Amino acid sequence: MQDWISMPLVGFPLVASIVLLAFVSNANESMRNRLSNPIRMATLIFSLVLLAITTGMFFQYFGNASWEGISFNNYEFTHRYTWIESLGIHWTVGLDALSFPMVWLTTFLLPVTIIATWNEKNGAVYFPIILGMGGALIGVFVALDLFMFYVFWELTLIPMFFLILMWGGADRKYASQKFFIYTFTASVIMLLGLITLYFFQDPVNPLEYAGSMTGRTFDIPTITQHALMENSNGNWYLGTNIQKVLFAMLMLGFLVKLPAVPFHTWLPDAHVQAPTGGSMLLAGVMLKMGAYGMFRLPISLFPHALEYFQLALMIIGMVSLVWGAIVCLGQTNLKKMVAYSSVSHMGVILIGIATMQPMGWAAALFMMFAHGIISPMLFAVCGAFKHHYHSMEIGAMRGMAKHSPWLATSMMFAWMASLGLPLLAGFVAELMMLIALWYFLAAEGWSVFWMVGPALVLAITAAYYLWSMQRTIFEGGDETQPPTSLNGQPVPDIASPEKLAMLILALFTIVFGVMPWIALDMMHDWTIQIFEGLILPILGDFNGGA
Amino acid sequence: MSNATIVEPFGDGFVNALCPELILFAGLLLLILLPNLGRGTFRIPGTQLRLPWLLGGKRFKLSSDPRLPAWIATFTLGGAFLDVLYIFSQGLERVSIVSESGKELLLINGFSRIFELIFFGALALAAFSSMNRLQVNGIGSKISERELYNNRRQADFYILMVTCALGMSVVALAQDLFVLFIGLELASFSTYVLVAFLKESKVGVESGMKYFIVGSVASGVGLYGLSMLYLWAGSLQFSVLSAAFAESGTTALPLIGIGFVLVGFGFKVSAAPFHFAAPDAYAGATSPVAGVLATASKAMGMIGLIRMLLIIAAPESSDGSAVWLVCLGVMAAITMTWGNLAALGSDNPKRMLAYSSVAHAGYMLAALTAVGAWNWDAAVAGDASAAAVAVMTALIFHLVVLVAFKLGAFLVLSILESEGGASSLSSLGGLAKREPLLAVAMFIFMISLAGVPPMAGFLSKLLVIMGIVRIAVGDMGAEIADGGIYVLGDMHWVWWLALLMLINSAISVFYYLRVVVVMFFDEPEEGREGPLPRGWQVRVAILACVLTTVLVGVAGDSLIRLCEMAAQSLNYNW
Repeated sequence: MQDWISMPLVGFPLVASIVLLAFVSNANESMRNRLSNPIRMATLIFSLVLLAITTGMFFQYFGNASWEGISFNNYEFTHRYTWIESLGIHWTVGLDALSFPMVWLTTFLLPVTIIATWNEKNGAVYFPIILGMGGALIGVFVALDLFMFYVFWELTLIPMFFLILMWGGADRKYASQKFFIYTFTASVIMLLGLITLYFFQDPVNPLEYAGSMTGRTFDIPTITQHALMENSNGNWYLGTNIQKVLFAMLMLGFLVKLPAVPFHTWLPDAHVQAPTGGSMLLAGVMLKMGAYGMFRLPISLFPHALEYFQLALMIIGMVSLVWGAIVCLGQTNLKKMVAYSSVSHMGVILIGIATMQPMGWAAALFMMFAHGIISPMLFAVCGAFKHHYHSMEIGAMRGMAKHSPWLATSMMFAWMASLGLPLLAGFVAELMMLIALWYFLAAEGWSVFWMVGPALVLAITAAYYLWSMQRTIFEGGDETQPPTSLNGQPVPDIASPEKLAMLILALFTIVFGVMPWIALDMMHDWTIQIFEGLILPILGDFNGGA
Repeated sequence: MSNATIVEPFGDGFVNALCPELILFAGLLLLILLPNLGRGTFRIPGTQLRLPWLLGGKRFKLSSDPRLPAWIATFTLGGAFLDVLYIFSQGLERVSIVSESGKELLLINGFSRIFELIFFGALALAAFSSMNRLQVNGIGSKISERELYNNRRQADFYILMVTCALGMSVVALAQDLFVLFIGLELASFSTYVLVAFLKESKVGVESGMKYFIVGSVASGVGLYGLSMLYLWAGSLQFSVLSAAFAESGTTALPLIGIGFVLVGFGFKVSAAPFHFAAPDAYAGATSPVAGVLATASKAMGMIGLIRMLLIIAAPESSDGSAVWLVCLGVMAAITMTWGNLAALGSDNPKRMLAYSSVAHAGYMLAALTAVGAWNWDAAVAGDASAAAVAVMTALIFHLVVLVAFKLGAFLVLSILESEGGASSLSSLGGLAKREPLLAVAMFIFMISLAGVPPMAGFLSKLLVIMGIVRIAVGDMGAEIADGGIYVLGDMHWVWWLALLMLINSAISVFYYLRVVVVMFFDEPEEGREGPLPRGWQVRVAILACVLTTVLVGVAGDSLIRLCEMAAQSLNYNW
């Protein structure tokens, strides 16, 4: 089968981005301004091509991958090329129902981001960086080799660092460095975990794709297969102690990326300072790398340790959920509030994982997807707000509905979607998580006390969203009050590219809210497969996990 | 490994074996001769007859060109570099040069060849990019005295570079501690002068003096250790010392002697606590020279450490772990942490790079420590020699790619330096606007130094950590598969060195990123708004460094294999 991933989805955006950047790097200021428009069009077309490819994959136009019924540790579109043979490193790509929605989401957000930030300054450099960011993100999701995974994992930091540093807000210098150092530190710990795992493989049994120098392999399917065999023999893969330690080391990297409380402090800074496009990709896709990594590595390899750390994960998830929401209440900065609401939503994902119910995992997967569509809209609204009112303060602007009906409508829609209005995408995920949590509490015989957290958060979320809407959109009655930062100039509504981006995002929020099965079916199928292939055979009939 | 071909000095095969060194020698002669060629004549006494004599007098246009010495040095060093590459492509031969009295002086094998590659590569780049550094304008007959003087100094500068390369390659080849020491001193003295070469600037002279004093004390201590070893074994041959160490190595005399020798080499690799002169020397020297100190000179010191620790005080000569294991492990931990913490606080980019080079020395010492632990537990240590080769591969790989991104970073600084002092971070301000490609190059060097993929620095750090973890884990995986029960504490403690190394690289990201932030964020300094000084040579050298950094990072397999072969040839007992 033809390789639809390596060159078209990963290589092409990266190479195109580097070529475009090299092309404009020696151009002077005026030349750059003239180049801005063609480059913007080019990146838009490139990203639409990517979207066409992944959509074609979904409709089985390219390849004939059926996204349902892929059994655990099997992948579609798999291709493997030797990369560094002596260490057992391959360029291995593949997709399953876990990674495909994320890849589609990335390719969907790329053109939307480009449209939403159509008038970003210094566009000749900005748009290629966005494109390269997309290539790196897709690389993370399609990588089936630990080395390749790590390389792309870190590679995503570089374009995001520059997006924040060069197009960010006033405090961007601090925020970009904090972002880089925070996530880099967590991922080097993860790297040590990966290498230690690598050398804990048994080189005596002939391993497939092993390196000539080390006798071990970085190949994820091979390692997963190996772990599955060991785990299902009734043993813990690598023994109890080492499995727990490695699980913790890998999880640390993913929890910081997610981010979960108490590792979340980089996120508000990064978001508030990042430009709109950076925020959209950061919240839309980059945070999901953490949850994706959890499913792909620690959960697939160390199910025993997952059960062992179940309570800890549940607590971290609950704390993230509640803490994120409570902090939102105290924010006066619109973007900061949205950033903390992301922390809260990522707590939902973590709780879904910690329930160890198929329903909970499907909820987590769908939350990743739904939040990936809703949060870019939130940040697009924030970006437009900042762009038009030169302020981020809630209450600086009143009666927005009057002179910026488009922005007001978009804001209301996004806010409602994020707080979980029925028939919008976020609601499905939250509802599923709540049901899974009930299942879990009933099966485990835990106290109903655990439901207090999510219930509380539903109220708090409604409170901060409604409060902020009321302050900015409606308050003031006929007496609208334009922000002082505008110095009395007339208040414009958002530009047409922004309107288009908002419309697209809103449309898909509705589509996946009304017909969640388009994405949910394959996610649900993936959880069934991992439960049938991994969790049930190994952990047995634990807390009624069916 | 097949046995070595034995060649006597100046006997058959001598020229073949030492071809790169002979190229250097020829270049050295040319460097002395060519810039002095002129229309000098010689009058036969008693007659009016003047015979052309060619030396001295009014010089030819070509021989008075100030760039001539640089070109000769570049071609000499580059030629030697290409010659070594050619030898690699032809397949290596193991040649031992043995004196008439039966003493093995030099040994040519993969290990020494790859270090020659490092030395010649680094010095060729440095010489090439120094071409416009001591620029004089006058060419031809109307040359002023001062310009003429500068022109002569050009020759001195490059002569020192070539002698430095010669000394370094002797270190790489030496099989006798005394020969090694001579090579070391030849290279060291050249670098002392090179550091102090900018005698117009106060900083240069001061730093050169400091470097010289500390360096000669370190050499003196090393020489004293050497005399102790001679007293103990009656010879300074590696083979003799190694055999003697296996027999009675853990007595006081050889241990003290080895310790003293290590001080000498520790200074060269700038390991804590012998690193104090390094930041001053780097800050005072011209940037290309500082780059040489941080790459080639460090590799030379590393050879010394490897020879002392892995050949003479070899871990296989003691039961279990090597005697120096704990000592070196502590030193590695202190060196990397100290280097990184000090780099956090330095505002001078050259000092920052100097401290980062101290930190890198710590990483390399950690790798060496791991080799010392290679057969720590017979039950789980596994194939010790394969593990040792893996670590040595990582170490050599690191030294090779370090040339690309460490020297490259210094070369970028050297462009800024030639518009007047680059002693503060703010001098890098606005580089992204002034010359974007240069800023991107510096960015690539910085993240490569920090160990961010997909750069060569990441691959080298990964290899070092993989080597350490491999030794710490050993064959536990196989034992576990057979039903053995192990916990994390069963791993060898060198695993914690790997953890410390990773934490240190996370710390280091902070100061590397600071450079990037200044380049892309800050406005240019007062008086630095205009375009950067010209000079295509240094830009070509930077481009070569960038390409190497990126290409090795994404496709390093063949270089890894080359280093593996070199590591295997280091010690044929493995």
